[in-house]
Amino acid sequence: MGFHRLFQRQKFEAEMSEELRFHLDKYTQDLLDQGVPPAEAARRARLEFGGANTVQEECREASGWQTFDELRRQASYAIRLLRKSPGFTSTALATLAICLGANLAIFAVIDAALLRPLPFPEAHRLVTLYNTYPRAGVDRDGASLTNYYERRGQIPAFSSLSIYRPESMLIGEPGATERFESALVSPEFFATVGVAPLMGRTFTEAETTFQTDHVVLLTYAHWQRHYQADPQVVGRPIRVDGLAYKIVGVLPKTFTFLSSAAQLYFPYASVPSARGHLRRHSGNSITMVARLRPGATRAQAQSQIDAHNAVVEADNPQAKMMAEAGFRSVVASLHDDHVAGIRPILLLLQAGVGLLLLIGVVNLVNLLLVRASGRTKELAVRQALGASRRHVATEVLVETTLLTLAGGLLGCAVGAAGIRLLVALGADQLPLAAGMAFDGRVALVALAGAVLVGVALAFPIIWFTLRASLHAESRGGTASAAAQGLRHAFIVSQMTLAFVLLAGAGLLGQSLRNATAVAPGFRPEQVLTGQLSLPWAKYPGSSPQRLQIVERLGRRLVELPGVGAAGIVHNLPFSGKSNMTAVTAKGYRLRPGESVRGHYYYSVSGDYFGAIGLTLKSGRYFTARDGDQRLCVIDEDFAQRYWPSSDPVGQQLFSGSTESTPDQAFTVVGVVSRVKQVGLTDDTPQGAVYFPYRFFPQSDFYLVARARISPESLALAMQRAVRALDADLPVTDLRPMQTRIEDSLLTRRSPTLLAALFSAIALLLTAIGTYGVLSYAVTQRRREIAVRMALGAQPGQIRHQFLRVAFYLLLWGTTLGTIGAWLSGRLMQTLLYQVPSFHGLTLGGVALVMTAATLTACLVPSYRASRVSPSEALAE
Amino acid sequence: MRKTTDLLPGTLDMLILKAVSLKPLHGYGVLLRLKQISAEALAIPQGSLYPALYRLEHQKLISAEWASSENNRRAKYYTLTAAGRKRLRERTAGWNRMSAAIAAALNTKPEEV
Repeated sequence: MGFHRLFQRQKFEAEMSEELRFHLDKYTQDLLDQGVPPAEAARRARLEFGGANTVQEECREASGWQTFDELRRQASYAIRLLRKSPGFTSTALATLAICLGANLAIFAVIDAALLRPLPFPEAHRLVTLYNTYPRAGVDRDGASLTNYYERRGQIPAFSSLSIYRPESMLIGEPGATERFESALVSPEFFATVGVAPLMGRTFTEAETTFQTDHVVLLTYAHWQRHYQADPQVVGRPIRVDGLAYKIVGVLPKTFTFLSSAAQLYFPYASVPSARGHLRRHSGNSITMVARLRPGATRAQAQSQIDAHNAVVEADNPQAKMMAEAGFRSVVASLHDDHVAGIRPILLLLQAGVGLLLLIGVVNLVNLLLVRASGRTKELAVRQALGASRRHVATEVLVETTLLTLAGGLLGCAVGAAGIRLLVALGADQLPLAAGMAFDGRVALVALAGAVLVGVALAFPIIWFTLRASLHAESRGGTASAAAQGLRHAFIVSQMTLAFVLLAGAGLLGQSLRNATAVAPGFRPEQVLTGQLSLPWAKYPGSSPQRLQIVERLGRRLVELPGVGAAGIVHNLPFSGKSNMTAVTAKGYRLRPGESVRGHYYYSVSGDYFGAIGLTLKSGRYFTARDGDQRLCVIDEDFAQRYWPSSDPVGQQLFSGSTESTPDQAFTVVGVVSRVKQVGLTDDTPQGAVYFPYRFFPQSDFYLVARARISPESLALAMQRAVRALDADLPVTDLRPMQTRIEDSLLTRRSPTLLAALFSAIALLLTAIGTYGVLSYAVTQRRREIAVRMALGAQPGQIRHQFLRVAFYLLLWGTTLGTIGAWLSGRLMQTLLYQVPSFHGLTLGGVALVMTAATLTACLVPSYRASRVSPSEALAE
Repeated sequence: MRKTTDLLPGTLDMLILKAVSLKPLHGYGVLLRLKQISAEALAIPQGSLYPALYRLEHQKLISAEWASSENNRRAKYYTLTAAGRKRLRERTAGWNRMSAAIAAALNTKPEEV
């Protein structure tokens, strides 16, 4: 019922008056024409017409306006009442605004990440496939190029199958090159996700071999920003990694693949050998995306993939080893898989704000109950004068709904601000959360929620109001026991919920503290890191050019003023990379049922060990005098696994899952401390091997420099030094190591901060609620207190009586809260790092905080109770 | 003074539908028409005419439109809708059946029993 109806209502009134006036005038005129004198004519016309007010009222009723009018009357009555008690109204509105706003902000993230379907047609049919080797310690290894070529067109459950791989490319003329996030995709990728180019075309099958792959598709954003939305852009040349490419199309504005930052799309070109069966298990960070045929299920696809794997693996001599490693290809929903990592924490936060809202609502119920008690007499009188029970009930409903709607509108404002806070806390870096916004959908949910809360609030109040006015106390004696019991039950439930929230925040805090206290295994202070990629055309494969520039880079960096040590690594810890490879220790016999393991491997050059600050446990690092010797350095986990009882230095190992010829062996020269590769809380003893760069000459790697000055101030010098060696090479992702480590804790730190914020609000609300109910009790029982004091009770006794009530409530709240905290702790267990779900210290702390807050809230009312003046109270 | 009859409950609606079925009328026009077609035999309470009109309009049996009247003053004219026409037919048939039955009953002679 909006302004539209209000406007219609006014129009109705005006037209009705006009119509009735017309009738009277015509009748009067007719009487005049019949010769009736003017004064008499007007009188008779009015008389015969009957009471105009009654007629109008009947007309309104006949047109169905009475419900509307009734509601309007009640609304304006409710507004008058609310304005008469500004203290209550503003407390209620603030409570609602904060609680609803917090829910809204979290919901916006959940909506963007979990609820809204991916922006592709029939997105629920999109799946992703990845290989897993759980017993080799490799849970996820993407999919291989071979998988793609072997599977496409072979799996009946899929209407199409494609691959996507993130890549970064050097774009632009010499000296002015920029590195852009890009993606390599197979020709049917765009058809699979269901996207057609805005202009131009997508890739063809012929463009999947080198030399013919020099074509590029621009994303809409890149086209806008770097080509000023030039409509003639298709066909224009573009320089990519120093080679001439051609723009063949532009992608539509709405297209983003998951959380991809790719600005340019290239065809995924490869040589036939890279597609062969020997490379079947080389994951290569490829994401395989397939579209289920209409009617086909994921389970069907899974069984077809399992069967297909069994067939193609028949010719694989290593099939038995793969089976022992637990090899399997998993078919998962593309959307669910992408957000699987953040779903638990988001749901936990939503549960947290849900509790907060519940506490807020209970608070409001209590405040409203107190208010309703104050109006019992007024309502009793009104009911005696003929107000119906239905009338009283709708009045309460209108009042609470109005209150919550207003609170909801304020909540929208709080929510919008909350979303900005979440962005500041890094929420937009979560998968898909970049799309979160305060939009109509979110606002609609907010207002619907507000109305729902209003209706929910009304029931206990209606119940109480109708009950209380039935046997309304004529004089203010002791308050009805039932109402007091209800209020106390609400306070206890509020305390319980607040306790659970506080305990949850406490557990998250403990967990964060534990995570932060973990040593990364190296010395991250004063270390600057930056990414570099060598274009293939200029520095192909393991060419001397590539080895040379890497060596010169290492030398050049260490010469920079302020740099203590510098080196190169392709698999930087905390960079999001976690490259693993199978390594075989010479002479090691697998026990029955034991699988070959995947281990982290690092291709290093220069003084990487010194630059990152590893600790040497035994042996030595690589030196410049090593020449072409096949040497390696391992970490303590690797040593412990393969040579637990002998000296690892001098032992030999092979890259790959089997031993090969002796000339391929790498000799261990040193053992270093273990490094956290993925995150501080990653406790898996994966084992790591460091190889000299020349044996694993990767094109993408990181520069690592240990500075004697602040690492940020080194950034420019590092970029210049690289450009001086090759004007085409920009350094990207330049960040101090410390920042990378801090960012890796984002999904722990931000939720902890939010939980702390929520529980602080919850504690405040509980204190307000306790204060409100207790001070109401004191007001209600002034006469009783006065009588007792007149009979000789000491102020201290009175004070203690109220404090006893508070303690009693607190005891219940704490007991129930401990049980709730234990249960919620169990639910949270997977999100906690080295904290038991029942953490005594945390619970004790929470109980202490709760007690302090409750006592503070009780002190003023109980003090006031002890200061009641008997003569004044009894004279009232 | 002529003898007038009070309306039976529920019959005003039927009479209004009949009146506006002949031609679009404003409220006062309905009153005059009813007086005319009943040869002034029926007493139409002026005050209850409008609630009845509004009820019929709310039930979508008649529709209203503002137009200028004989002396150029704006007036609200009522016309019968399709639903109203159907209702009028049903009510007329029902009324005829009932009045025939009542008349037959009242005209019954002792020997017919």
